[in-house]
Amino acid sequence: MIDIKTKISSFFLFNSSFGPKEGEELKRILFFHPKDVSSDARKTQVGLCEAVVKFMCTFSTEPCEALQTQTKRYMFYQPEEDYWMVLVANIPYTTKAHTSTGEGQAEFACNHSDRNSSRGGNCQQCNNKTQCHSSLEESYSTHPFPEASIMSNLLVSAYNTFRMFMGPLKDIPIENIYSICEKFFTPFIQSRNLCNDITEVIKGVNYLPLDKNCFYKVICFIDLLEINYPDFNCISFVYNDKLIWNGLAPNDMLTLYQYLVESLLPSQIEKELQGGAVAAAERHGRFISPPEGIRYKEDLQNLTKIHVTREDETESKEYYLIIYRTLSATVCFTIDVKTPLDIESFRSLDAFIGPQLSIIASTISEQCAVNALQAAQLINADHKFVYFNRLNYAFKASPSLNKLVPSTTLKPEVLSIIAGIHGDRQSLGNYGEVIIKTPHEYWITGKSSNNREFYVVIQEKNANLKEIADEVRRISESQLKGIFFYPM
Amino acid sequence: MSSSSIDNVQPSTSAQNNTSDELEPGACPDSILDPTDSFEEFASEMSSSLQSRHIALTTKSSTISEIQCEINKDFKESSEIKSTKSSEDLQNKNDSMSESGSSSNLIDQNNEELDSDKEDYLHSPELINKEKHVFILSSAGKPIYSRYGNEDKLAGLCGVIQALVSVVEDQNHDILRSITTKDCKTVFLVKGPLILVAISKSNESETQLVLQLTYAFNQIVSVLTLTQLNRIFEQRRNYDLRRLLSGAERLIDNLLIFMEKDPAFLLGAVRCLPLPEKSRESITNAITSTCNKIRDLVFAILIAGNQLITLVRMKKYTLHPSDIHLLFNLVRSTESFKSAESWTPICLPKFDASGFLHGHVSYIAEDCQACLILLTVQRDAFFPLSQAKHTIAEKLRRSNCLGAINDALNRNEDLPTTNPLRHIGILEIRHFMYKCKSTAQLFTSDPVSIDRPQDNRTRPKEGGDIVEKKIEKLSDIDYVSNYRKFCSQIHCTSTPAKLIFRSNSDNTILAWVTNGFELYVTFDALMEKDQAIKAVDRLLRWIKKEEQRIFIMNAPTF
Repeated sequence: MIDIKTKISSFFLFNSSFGPKEGEELKRILFFHPKDVSSDARKTQVGLCEAVVKFMCTFSTEPCEALQTQTKRYMFYQPEEDYWMVLVANIPYTTKAHTSTGEGQAEFACNHSDRNSSRGGNCQQCNNKTQCHSSLEESYSTHPFPEASIMSNLLVSAYNTFRMFMGPLKDIPIENIYSICEKFFTPFIQSRNLCNDITEVIKGVNYLPLDKNCFYKVICFIDLLEINYPDFNCISFVYNDKLIWNGLAPNDMLTLYQYLVESLLPSQIEKELQGGAVAAAERHGRFISPPEGIRYKEDLQNLTKIHVTREDETESKEYYLIIYRTLSATVCFTIDVKTPLDIESFRSLDAFIGPQLSIIASTISEQCAVNALQAAQLINADHKFVYFNRLNYAFKASPSLNKLVPSTTLKPEVLSIIAGIHGDRQSLGNYGEVIIKTPHEYWITGKSSNNREFYVVIQEKNANLKEIADEVRRISESQLKGIFFYPM
Repeated sequence: MSSSSIDNVQPSTSAQNNTSDELEPGACPDSILDPTDSFEEFASEMSSSLQSRHIALTTKSSTISEIQCEINKDFKESSEIKSTKSSEDLQNKNDSMSESGSSSNLIDQNNEELDSDKEDYLHSPELINKEKHVFILSSAGKPIYSRYGNEDKLAGLCGVIQALVSVVEDQNHDILRSITTKDCKTVFLVKGPLILVAISKSNESETQLVLQLTYAFNQIVSVLTLTQLNRIFEQRRNYDLRRLLSGAERLIDNLLIFMEKDPAFLLGAVRCLPLPEKSRESITNAITSTCNKIRDLVFAILIAGNQLITLVRMKKYTLHPSDIHLLFNLVRSTESFKSAESWTPICLPKFDASGFLHGHVSYIAEDCQACLILLTVQRDAFFPLSQAKHTIAEKLRRSNCLGAINDALNRNEDLPTTNPLRHIGILEIRHFMYKCKSTAQLFTSDPVSIDRPQDNRTRPKEGGDIVEKKIEKLSDIDYVSNYRKFCSQIHCTSTPAKLIFRSNSDNTILAWVTNGFELYVTFDALMEKDQAIKAVDRLLRWIKKEEQRIFIMNAPTF
């Protein structure tokens, strides 16, 4: 029950227009994971997906999203015309119906326990030697299945990250595309699992709330920097894994944030923990992207390029990405690729930011300690909540939902229900509320008001609708001061 | 009913139920219907593996021959063993099969048109922009049925569907289940020698669509029997089944419309015609007293307006709701039953998919639109059954039951069940739907109005288009289609729910399932929770009070 991770069964990219003739099918496959699949098997897989996509074109103008077979789920994503990304995971069609007896002869576990208890007799429906399961959890823990929305989120974030670092697929020349995909997607997909966690269902950004003075200091620092170094634009300011300031369009901000929090910073922190002495010497900060830092002229050749849209611009442009880190504060800058680079300006920037940033970082850390103390008093360990704002991707979850404490994560059934509410915006409309009770006495409340969403999970055996609604109101008042939900 | 299992949402209700009666509204110890949930069946269906699927379809004991055996035990002199009968029927069908051989070749040639023509046809007004397509084809890829358009022109599409299904089966050793886009679901069901496909833009869930395809398959079985269907394709894989199904297309057309509109299919339950307890009793008595001497009679069913009035059965045997739905559909779709007494072979797939029952079908009287179906295993029992029908009709007229049936059918304003919401007096409730699980019966605040479909097959071919309509006042059908999502969440195999309360700017819907019942209620928008609790409480009390009238509370036998 602790953390549910499923290996990705396969992941591939194809473009049918790359090998239109028979015999050229392999050319259509831009990338295929895992590597040990024979080329015939690859052709079959991709061929099936091509056929499915084409078949659905006849009946729907929307692109194909999913294919479900008895044992597998295929998720499709068409980020650019004719380019398809497919993620495959092993998911039996009726999840409850499988016991751990092994594949092929899965027995149907029927759930007639309700009727049993009401009639006091034996289970009449189970005349074909089936097993009666009263405990759902059992079958869940042996068969973890990722939510469909988690799979499609992974596809979307894979593409967005690819586009941020490599640019749109259609701009890459055909002769390079295979090697570029190989270089990018192999490490990407190997580092990922399908993990049943609320943060994978609702992809959001953790903002760090600061008091006025503290926030003002951050803003002043950024302004001063941009005035003194006009070539450098600050695009984000992150403390630990929380965002304080952003200069990108929301979608790119989310992609950069995920890159920082999910891959760059964890590896950086690991490095810092290993080389304690080195870290102390680097107390005053350093460039962490490129990974070797920027000390000599040659390092300028290694600068990472990204394709992003800045907050005040309308289209995506290519920039150099520079990331600087002191203590727990991480700052990202962009430089237009057309700007001539000069090692001196980087050295002077280092000297300018280093001391200033470490002062700000310690101020923030003091405030965080105060905030944490206050938050600790509000926590009710039994109740979990999630807040999400679709406009700025603001995400806030009850502390126990934190990945660091996996033993208290949500049960898959609960997660699945939240994913269902989150995925179906229409049914709540601009404002609405839904309360769902599961057979295991979980009460899941979902509220929606314009673009804001709020979910609360309460496990309570003898409650009624009214009591649950009152409890949700109490949590909302204490945790989300000033955020308005209608109906109350 | 254990009160602990009931949610405390309605504490007073559970308390009241416990004191006044052991059972929830509508429940009775004995049921005429087999209350197996179609959802449970669906789950077992869907969990079957590739190998077991084929076995399941062929190995099932025949209920009909069981009945015949029992009768023969008593009646040694009836030397004519009926089990030979079905093979005779097969013989006849085989003759027609060989005739069709040559013509199916012709069709093959016609199909070899240009690919582009087929593409064009798929985008023709006959097919484009439909809310739900249903295609049935043989496992060899031959078109059998299309809800819209002309099957002949769809050979190309059927070829594609067949190829998709077989690629997944042969190369991946897997079973194709569904494909989805944002606005459209395609669901595949392979049943014996047939492939059934639904392509839908409605809000029905995958499970609900598979259920509908299963019904369509059962409708075909009901015309042919499963034995015959399997036999035909064993002998000739390439057989053009349309030859044998002429006439059944209309039944499938109507069934599909019926399923989209009537909540009975959604809940796997049967709706009963609300009648005073006394009237229903005397109707049942009239049937049992007349028929108890007819040995081979298995079921006597009286229906009116897609509602069950009574069902008298042979001991030990019950009917599954889905078989009754097929009977409703047959009666509703066959105008000729109105003009004369009919004698027709009927296969009830849940009861016994391998053989035919013989049915005497007739309307009870000129002035009463109730239809009596007498089902027997005896092939030549038309005259005794016809006689029995007249006796029953006479008894009903004398006891004034025809009047009671007509009152209920015409929705006489004086009856409390005609406009239950007004009668209960809860203004906040706009619509409700209640199913008693143990007896598989349902009651809704409004009977679903289904236009009587016309007999010619052109009509359902038109219509079915997706129309953007601004809804001013919801019809009963709109309410029911709003419940679909709730229904599928409650019956979801992996993450079921016991209670859903959803309120938005349009309405407030409560779906609640307990051991004994399922209840779906639509309230005004933004309903307060405590008010909703009180309203549901009153509603359940009313149903309890009227249960004798709105449900069939006993299970009579001959």
